[in-house]
Amino acid sequence: MMKKQGSVLTLILIVALNIFPEVWAQEKTLVIAMNSTPKGVDPDIWVPGQIEATVNLYEGLTSYGTRVGSNGKLEVDPGKIQPHLAESWTVSPDGKKYLFKLKHGIRSPFGNELTAQDIVWTYEKSALQKRTGQFMASVGRIEKVEAASKYEVRFQLSDANRIFLGALTLHLPAIFDSVEAKKHASPDDPYAAKWLSLNSAGFGPYHLQSLQSGQQAVFVVNSNYFFKKPYYTKIIWREVPSPATRVALIRTGQVQYAEQIPFQQLTVLRTDPAVKVESVPGFGGATVRMNPRYQPFDKVKVRQAVAYATDYAAISEAVFLGQGTRSRSMLNSPIAGAVNAYKYETDYNKAKQLLTEVGYPNGVDVTLEYSTNWWWEEPLVLQMQASLAKAGIRVTPKKIPSTEMLARRTINVWTVPFLTHLTSSFVPDPSYNMFLTAHCKGSSNVNANCDAAMDKLIDASAIEREEKRWLSLIEQAQNLQADSATFIETFLPGTHEVFAACMKGYLWRPHNRLVWKDLNCSS
Amino acid sequence: MITTRRSRIIRFLFVRLFVSIPVILGIVFLTFMLIRIGGQDPVAMIAGPVADSAMLSAIRTQLQLDQPLLQQFLNYVLLVSQGDLGVSWQGGIPVLSEIKQLFPATLELVFLSVGLAALIGVPIGMRSAFKPNGWFDQLTRFCSLAGFSMPTYWLGLMAIFVFFYLLRWAPAPMGRLGVDVATPAVVTGSVLIDCLLEGNWNALSSALSHLALPVLCFALLAAAPIIKQTRAIMLEIVGSDYVRYARANGFSKKTIEKIALRNAAGPLLTFLGLELTSLLAAAALIEYIFSLSGLGQWGLNAILLGDFAVVQGYVLTLALSSMLIFMVIDLMVLLLEPRN
Amino acid sequence: MFTKKDSSAVVNFVNYSLGISRRSPTFAVGFSIVGLFLLLAMLADFIAPYSPTQSFSYNVLNPPDGRFLLGSDGNGMDVFSRVLHGCRYAFGISIPAGLIMISIGVPLGLVAGYRGGFIDEVLLRILDVLRSFPTIILALAVVAAMGQSLTSMVLVIGVLDSPIFARVVRAEVLALRSSTFVMAAIAMGNPAWRVMFVHILPNAILGVTAQLPMRMAWAVRISATLAFIGVGIQAPTPEWGAMIRQGAEYVITGEWWVALFPGIALMLLVLGFNLLGDGLSDILDPRRRSVDK
Repeated sequence: MMKKQGSVLTLILIVALNIFPEVWAQEKTLVIAMNSTPKGVDPDIWVPGQIEATVNLYEGLTSYGTRVGSNGKLEVDPGKIQPHLAESWTVSPDGKKYLFKLKHGIRSPFGNELTAQDIVWTYEKSALQKRTGQFMASVGRIEKVEAASKYEVRFQLSDANRIFLGALTLHLPAIFDSVEAKKHASPDDPYAAKWLSLNSAGFGPYHLQSLQSGQQAVFVVNSNYFFKKPYYTKIIWREVPSPATRVALIRTGQVQYAEQIPFQQLTVLRTDPAVKVESVPGFGGATVRMNPRYQPFDKVKVRQAVAYATDYAAISEAVFLGQGTRSRSMLNSPIAGAVNAYKYETDYNKAKQLLTEVGYPNGVDVTLEYSTNWWWEEPLVLQMQASLAKAGIRVTPKKIPSTEMLARRTINVWTVPFLTHLTSSFVPDPSYNMFLTAHCKGSSNVNANCDAAMDKLIDASAIEREEKRWLSLIEQAQNLQADSATFIETFLPGTHEVFAACMKGYLWRPHNRLVWKDLNCSS
Repeated sequence: MITTRRSRIIRFLFVRLFVSIPVILGIVFLTFMLIRIGGQDPVAMIAGPVADSAMLSAIRTQLQLDQPLLQQFLNYVLLVSQGDLGVSWQGGIPVLSEIKQLFPATLELVFLSVGLAALIGVPIGMRSAFKPNGWFDQLTRFCSLAGFSMPTYWLGLMAIFVFFYLLRWAPAPMGRLGVDVATPAVVTGSVLIDCLLEGNWNALSSALSHLALPVLCFALLAAAPIIKQTRAIMLEIVGSDYVRYARANGFSKKTIEKIALRNAAGPLLTFLGLELTSLLAAAALIEYIFSLSGLGQWGLNAILLGDFAVVQGYVLTLALSSMLIFMVIDLMVLLLEPRN
Repeated sequence: MFTKKDSSAVVNFVNYSLGISRRSPTFAVGFSIVGLFLLLAMLADFIAPYSPTQSFSYNVLNPPDGRFLLGSDGNGMDVFSRVLHGCRYAFGISIPAGLIMISIGVPLGLVAGYRGGFIDEVLLRILDVLRSFPTIILALAVVAAMGQSLTSMVLVIGVLDSPIFARVVRAEVLALRSSTFVMAAIAMGNPAWRVMFVHILPNAILGVTAQLPMRMAWAVRISATLAFIGVGIQAPTPEWGAMIRQGAEYVITGEWWVALFPGIALMLLVLGFNLLGDGLSDILDPRRRSVDK
């Protein structure tokens, strides 16, 4: 009797749940086709796939505000930094001491509340590992981090600087749930680095549920997330290494996002009704760099000759299909203070004349080395080859493995005379960008760009607090860089994300990675 | 000395194992040296994009890359003998665990493909041989040579384009299982076997459908040499003395076919073994295109990135499997030999 | 002057060719295909409308039309010209590779088969290693290590395949070693090298000749595969594998011409080589022909 009642009840339940699918359908899944599964999720250690994941797992004390852009769309306002995990902050008159008050009740998926201790622990971990986290901390000139009370953190800077607040918007040094992380620490691994490389413990919107290396990773929403609940509660990240296959998948609706789609296919995809392509100019520029420690690039006139012999129009057409934005300086909008410093236009006669002036009347032979880090490298190199030949600069293209490129272009190694590189950074701050790219100590300085005057300008701008003087310093630096012509500025390739047609809410952020919490696909 | 069948088998196995060791060592040594002589320097990749030269030399010392090559090799052999195949430099994941996870996928693909190819190829090859230079023979020879000539990646991409993108017959080429399907508990690592063990029919059918297109492509390409070799072997046998004698004696066609097959089994099996081993390596491209996350794709990527430990582990796995396959095949031939 | 003797020579040649074609249509077809490609390769400079590496920056990915017969690729280069020049690279890789294979493999096989002993053992061990070692991985590793150069690729392919020649020659030598004329030659006091090269080699060469086109086909295939993976060929070299690599991506978005034409060319040439080799073994190795005829 009881059994029969039980089964009837079950039957009713099943029928009811099928008639009211909303009861079941609390879960919204986003399926994404990515180049490779994350090989680790510790933001301090760079491995393939890590950044794409960790920007969604960890969040910072501050964040960038938004504004409505010229095209009517919502965009990030790099001039507006607002509190995020922090409630508010105060700064000392000399600009070297910041006191942050944390919001109460921010919890991780493990249920632990964010306290100042977590922040301190985070910076200790980065200091010990001496990797990316430590670098970001040094960029903001952070000297000391200590807990003033349960919800108050004090930052001691070595110099007042503008980068600090912007750096805090980033997902690294990641603010870990140290209570949970400490459970996995051991005497020779006091900061649980091993556990944190394969597990996430943060206060961000998502949490790593499972990871099958080479196949897929599954992320679930942090049920304790403090801010607005994301639309997607589950992210299934599939490894699809072939770009052609990724395109097939997004066009047939099997996935709702496909990363790293070859540029030339975007043109067709824009016309496909099943697909939506979101394009943002970004601020990364495709450049060709010359290392002044190698002949013939030691002579500034040779470098300028290369700048004049570049066919910018052809590059725009052939490489960027008319969709790139011309780069006008080593800094481009939306970075504050960007000016039109790069005044070179195609002029073969001028190029030949400059070459003759420094003793190369019959032109010169050079090798342009590139790798597979960015899609535009090879097409750009081939266009450079064709164009520079018209001024007598005979270019031999040479493709090298990406590990070799990484090894040889490293700071203080600098053994690549002529190479391609993307100027970009996580933080849209001009001093930071210039430091990374053009300062002798900058880690993205790939062509031995070591000029004492330039370094002085950049260092001064980093700690200049008066607005007008600051802008002037930045302008001077850009002009100096353009005159030295060690960078050939071509175009900003832009960021182009490919989604299923229904996708809304995409918001580009300066770290240039997809943030899942903004997305929604409700019709 | 009385050599019983059993003692002969045991002796065979012993000799084989003994001989295999220097060969394996040779292969490992060759790979080890090869991958280090090029300009590949993974240290910068490990250190990450914000490294400086001090950090780089620290990492180089930590990984023992500054020691003489021979010393590094001996260290490696020592570790391998203890079961430690090193870690991948992209994230510190142990090589052995990756192999355990990825190799079954490749094995699935290759065994199914060779099986299908043999099922198609052997009968066709036999039929060709019995009526040489007839229209059927000419046609199959042409088709098999066409199969020889087609690049793997080409066929795979075309197949995806036609059967998935245009016709939607094949499932999405993004992994071994569909997105909504629950993964079976990992026992062997092979999705098919694990599903069978668990009785998870839903996952099994999803896995099979995801394997259908890659296996079909791979099998078509593998069938070509099988057809050719079967035909060659059968021709040899059909022209041999004892078959001619049997024909002269008026034995039925069926009996002659049986005799021929019995004698062909040895060389045919040997050839199939060869095919298996060469496909194990060629699987990389199919895995890449169909996102099957197998060993080949992983090894290929590692070679291009200079991930030394992974490449060594990959080649070692392939070499050991080849040795094993040859040993098993030769054993089977030994057992099948009527004189044994 | 075209004399009667010449004309009869031509007639004889034509008859001879037709005779061979009748005996082995595969040989005829294979020979024609390879011959055609060879001709295209030699005449590429004259036939091709543009330079294969000339980039038309404003005509990227044009479909086949009046200006670009087979369309233009992702860098604005003419596909037709590139496919034609690709023939030169196909032969430029397979012919030297074949020569290397022969010059290493044949002497090795001769010595191993004739002398036996230590060299034979070493050769067999090397063959074992190569049998178990995934050849494509080896080629990949070596080319990746030695850099993007055609020379390194040709060397690698040539060296890798020589043991196969060695094995073929060795088998022939073993079979011939106990034949009467060889015994006679030895009895007459010929030194070993003379016996090997003057007496045995001409008879062993048949097996090699039949095998050579197959190996050249393999050379073309593997160089294309390596180029597809991204090693060995430096852009903008018009090599078919590299072209297919670029073009493969575009198939999904409907720009089919970039990959299709080099793909067809590759297939046809490899097919041609295979048919040629097959046909040669048909003609040269009477045992393989039908028993009933």
